[in-house]
Amino acid sequence: MSILLKPAALIWLLLMLATCTTTWWLSKDAFPATVATVATVLIAAFKARLVLLNFMEVRHAPLPWRLMFEAWVLLVTAAVLSIYLQTPMNT
Amino acid sequence: MKPETYSTDYTMWRLLAWCGPIFMTVFFFMWGVFAGNLPPAGADLDAAQITAHYLNNGMAIRIGMSVCMVGSAFYMAWGCAVSKVMRRIEGPDGILSNLEMMGATITCAPLLVACGIWLTASIEAPQLPPAIIHMMYWLGWMIIDIAYMVTTFQIFAVGIVFLRDQREKPLMPAWISWWGFVTCAAFFPVSLIPFFKTGPFAFHGLFNFWIAFFTWYIWVTAVSFNIIRAISRLQQEDGAASPSAAQQRAGVLITG
Amino acid sequence: MATAAARLQQARRLPGVEGVWVFIAADMAMFGLLFVSFMLERQKNLALFEHSRHTLDANFGGINTLILLTSSWFVVLAVDAAKRNRVQRVAPCLAAAMICGFAFTVSKALEYADKLRSGISMLTNDFYMYYFALTGIHLLHVAAGCVVLAVLWKRARAGTYNSAQCVGLECGASYWHMVDLLWILLFPLLYLLR
Repeated sequence: MSILLKPAALIWLLLMLATCTTTWWLSKDAFPATVATVATVLIAAFKARLVLLNFMEVRHAPLPWRLMFEAWVLLVTAAVLSIYLQTPMNT
Repeated sequence: MKPETYSTDYTMWRLLAWCGPIFMTVFFFMWGVFAGNLPPAGADLDAAQITAHYLNNGMAIRIGMSVCMVGSAFYMAWGCAVSKVMRRIEGPDGILSNLEMMGATITCAPLLVACGIWLTASIEAPQLPPAIIHMMYWLGWMIIDIAYMVTTFQIFAVGIVFLRDQREKPLMPAWISWWGFVTCAAFFPVSLIPFFKTGPFAFHGLFNFWIAFFTWYIWVTAVSFNIIRAISRLQQEDGAASPSAAQQRAGVLITG
Repeated sequence: MATAAARLQQARRLPGVEGVWVFIAADMAMFGLLFVSFMLERQKNLALFEHSRHTLDANFGGINTLILLTSSWFVVLAVDAAKRNRVQRVAPCLAAAMICGFAFTVSKALEYADKLRSGISMLTNDFYMYYFALTGIHLLHVAAGCVVLAVLWKRARAGTYNSAQCVGLECGASYWHMVDLLWILLFPLLYLLR
């Protein structure tokens, strides 16, 4: 339709593909649990950042706002992953 | 009777507006710090532990709760001042200022009842079976917490009206209205407290105590100080209007 | 170069009014705390959490993610249409986004019903407590979002939104994207952590 619309469509496609990857591919038992989980969380963080920057237009936000939201994604991901990796696995 | 002799008593408005900070101070220090609710004893304690809590802090809880029962009425008085300022934005037919006043008034009811129950528990702890003290402790929490919807309506009404303010510099900064909506959102998970004894959704937990109560505390404090400022601005607006307009307003007050 | 930077600085803005971003930031902070407390509880009780997680159907979660992503995309299209003054296109896009919201709600209801039928409720164990609480709080956000979208849709049908006037639309859109974003993170935490 128009040039400006194309990025949004591309981002939407990318998000859909990433979702399918984590839900129906990385979740298979063929992948080692830790690798698959870390990858899944990182992909989720990447998706969240895509939504933030492109759909919520934080990319064009005043810098302090942008930094705050980027920090949120970073902090939540880091916290989730570090707690996950510190959890002893007995299986 | 000369209509001009009637003018708005802004001093009284201001006095009632200051009831907000008074309420917050009383509750923070007497309910929170003095009576040992910061942090609360906890939903995970058994009957013996709760009874021990009441026996060990009996006098502090007794004084704290009885002062808070008196202090909760200040929330109602404060609600009147907020309602008056709201009426100046939404006009005499506005209904949200009524909702705000009802919300503030009825918010006092669970505060009064819960503090009354805890007060009684602190007095009766030495002679009642621990199971009853435990029940009273929980009863107070269920009443004070799950009554949140009354306050939600109040906060919601305040938020909407001040966002509709057409003044170039609104009487209330927009972020306070939005902070109010945050408070409303933070209140809903409080409905989970009957199901939890530990974790963030227990009545002493991260979410349903620390976040739900403190978002509200911040909201009341922010609204209070801006209402006090808004009253001065309304008074100035009155003075800036022509004397005949002021007279007309006084006339409207009499006939309407 | 300097003027271009200055122009860029001037153009830097958040969509909608700043107040809605106060709400979004506070809401996201709360969810962040909830995610962390879920992880800490999982750490204490790994075997139980892992066992219970297997009873969840990741298909539901995955499809729900796809639904919300698509819904967000429709909202992006609606805002874009308004900014280009294609006033007629705004309402259909919002309607599509709203239908996705309903679909998410229906799917969640089916999932809950399935759990309750097999005798699983919030009181079963700590995992399900978090599962129902977190998805329930999120579902409330979805329900509120559907109401927002309905209001925007009604206004858009009256031709309210165009390039000169789209602040309200932008506010609603930003909120709806946040609901999407929170689900993107919530879904793997509950369904996919191994």
